[in-house]
Amino acid sequence: MSTAEFEEVAMMESDLISARKQAPSELRAENVSVWFGKRKVLENVNIDFPKNTVTALIGPSGCGKSTFIRTLNRLHELIPSAALAGSVLYEGKDIYSSDVDPVHIRLQIGMVFQKPNPFPSMTIRGNVLSGLKLSGMKRDNHDDIVEHTLTAAGLWTEVKERLNHAAGDLSGGQQQRLVIARALAVQPSVLLMDEPCSALDPASTLKIEETIRQLSKEVTIVIVTHNMQQAVRVADNTAFFLAQEGEPGHIVEQGLTTDIFGQPQDQRTLDYVNGRFG
Amino acid sequence: MSTITYQAPLDPEGMVQTPQRPWRHKPRSFTMAVALAVVIPAVISAALFFFSPIPGAIVLTVIYFPLQLVASGIAAWATRGVRGIADSIIIVNAIGSTVFSVVVLLSLLGSLVVRGLRALSPHFIYQNSVFINPSTPLEYGGIGHALVGTILIVAIASLIAVPIGIATAVYITEVRGKAVPYVRFFVQAMSGVPSVVAGLFILTIAVSTGWFSQNALAGGLAYAILMLPTVARTAEEVLKLIPDELRTGALALGSTRARTVMRVVLPAAKTGIITAILLGIARVIGETAPLLLAAGNNDGTVINPFGQAIASIPVYIFNNVAVPYPDAVARAWGAALALMILIAVLFTLARVLGRGRVGRAK
Ligand SMILES: Nc1ncnc2c1ncn2[C@@H]1O[C@H](COP(=O)(O)OP(=O)(O)O)[C@@H](O)[C@H]1O
Ligand SMILES: [Mg+2]
Repeated sequence: MSTAEFEEVAMMESDLISARKQAPSELRAENVSVWFGKRKVLENVNIDFPKNTVTALIGPSGCGKSTFIRTLNRLHELIPSAALAGSVLYEGKDIYSSDVDPVHIRLQIGMVFQKPNPFPSMTIRGNVLSGLKLSGMKRDNHDDIVEHTLTAAGLWTEVKERLNHAAGDLSGGQQQRLVIARALAVQPSVLLMDEPCSALDPASTLKIEETIRQLSKEVTIVIVTHNMQQAVRVADNTAFFLAQEGEPGHIVEQGLTTDIFGQPQDQRTLDYVNGRFG
Repeated sequence: MSTITYQAPLDPEGMVQTPQRPWRHKPRSFTMAVALAVVIPAVISAALFFFSPIPGAIVLTVIYFPLQLVASGIAAWATRGVRGIADSIIIVNAIGSTVFSVVVLLSLLGSLVVRGLRALSPHFIYQNSVFINPSTPLEYGGIGHALVGTILIVAIASLIAVPIGIATAVYITEVRGKAVPYVRFFVQAMSGVPSVVAGLFILTIAVSTGWFSQNALAGGLAYAILMLPTVARTAEEVLKLIPDELRTGALALGSTRARTVMRVVLPAAKTGIITAILLGIARVIGETAPLLLAAGNNDGTVINPFGQAIASIPVYIFNNVAVPYPDAVARAWGAALALMILIAVLFTLARVLGRGRVGRAK
């Protein structure tokens, strides 16, 4: 590649980034506050997830990242003591308004959890296709879906010979990649990932990050991570959450990932991204 | 500082390693002490048992067991010091209790086999008891009618109690509705209902009112009342063990509550649910009182569950055991043995069906 060509590509990429920043927002949290019982754990979270971007949520543990991400596809309400104020807009409509079916929301906004949770009664193949069955989605070419999603999750070569084995026989890291494939099979338009790589080895982690980059052409991704390099590698935008002693968590600073890591405005962000606390 | 990299052995011949289990090597003194601690109490007790008038049970409980405790304690103290004593007490007690319960179980099965085997024969299994009275020799008659009756009644009870029981457990653990405390309390109270009361209940509301006669359906209903709480409570415990991550995972894929239960939670709990059903069957299959009241008795074979009174193994045993004819008593024991075999067959069958490895499923 000549220097001129290279610069052109680089320009296109930076155009892409700014275009992304201004892309129509697909998912957006407005003044979201969250309680468990009487205890307020999140306060006034405002954040925008533009279409087909990757947003990293970072912050010390216990500051409410998992809690927040679960409000985005209505899993939060499964906890009996849970309460919430504010609104979450998906394609401009509040997902908490009373005429919205949570099942419908969760179909569009998929999720990968920190702890791998394959269905033990199903085979590897059955797990990948389980989303289609569970949501009553009709699609043929099942073999293609299985191969495609497992490849995207970086698991295909390891399991293609034993697709009909029990999912529980896989190692923890393999199980995690399996549930990522499972989440992809229903083709969500938003994918929430809560520390998806914390149980993975470096090679699988890189594979997943590649998948995330690839997916972000068609899918809006929100990823919680404790790995700073990972946030830098995959995320267009980053939001830094923090909960002061005895206070509810909130977003201290958010913006382009390059800015959050390169020139943060808040001292606490600077300290955190440089590994000085948390 | 530099690192150290792997070097293959220079002289492979000289360094061939064989697998060892060094943790298995115990010093000789240790082996000796254990052997002495096992042999001495056994020899003393055996001598007392054979050469003194002290009854065996007393030798076992008052002499052998304490002696074994002390001997093991001494051996443990000698080899491992004071800390070993507590260990040895726990181990001796654990082994002793296990042996004790196995002995009790085996002697129960043994007496069943010894007394029941005399009556057991092919015709005893398939013939019925028409024209048979207590003094008829064992060459004639059998429990075919009672086996059919018991299977029919238990099947009816299962058909009623298993779906309701599992649905109750699902309500408690999956639906988690407002009524959960009341439902749980009710199920708990229900498991306290004595079996004779279940029989009386069916007798009063169904039979005495002329709604239907004593038959397999009435017996099955009485059994179902007893089975339901066992199935519901066991299934509840099993479903509680299914991690919440599976439910959340299914819901996050756009599953409805119902599909989550049917396709993820219940399949994950399959073996446990089968255990719940088996425990429910085991709870009722030997119950006599409800059937005496609700199902009645019959010397002939009845197939129609809505027809007339029907025989069953427990009622057959009840009618034959207290009769002053040795052959009738032998028949009762034979029927008891047949019942145990039936249960064993049922349980094995259910376990084999329940195993169904995912790995092979297509
Ligand atoms: N199910 C729950 N019930 C009550 N409190 C909870 C529950 N889940 C999380 N919390 C509390 O909410 C706060 C945020 O937790 P979480 O969202 O898991 O943090 P993070 O994911 O950032 O580590 C913590 O203080 C935690 O104790
Ligand atoms: Mg978390």
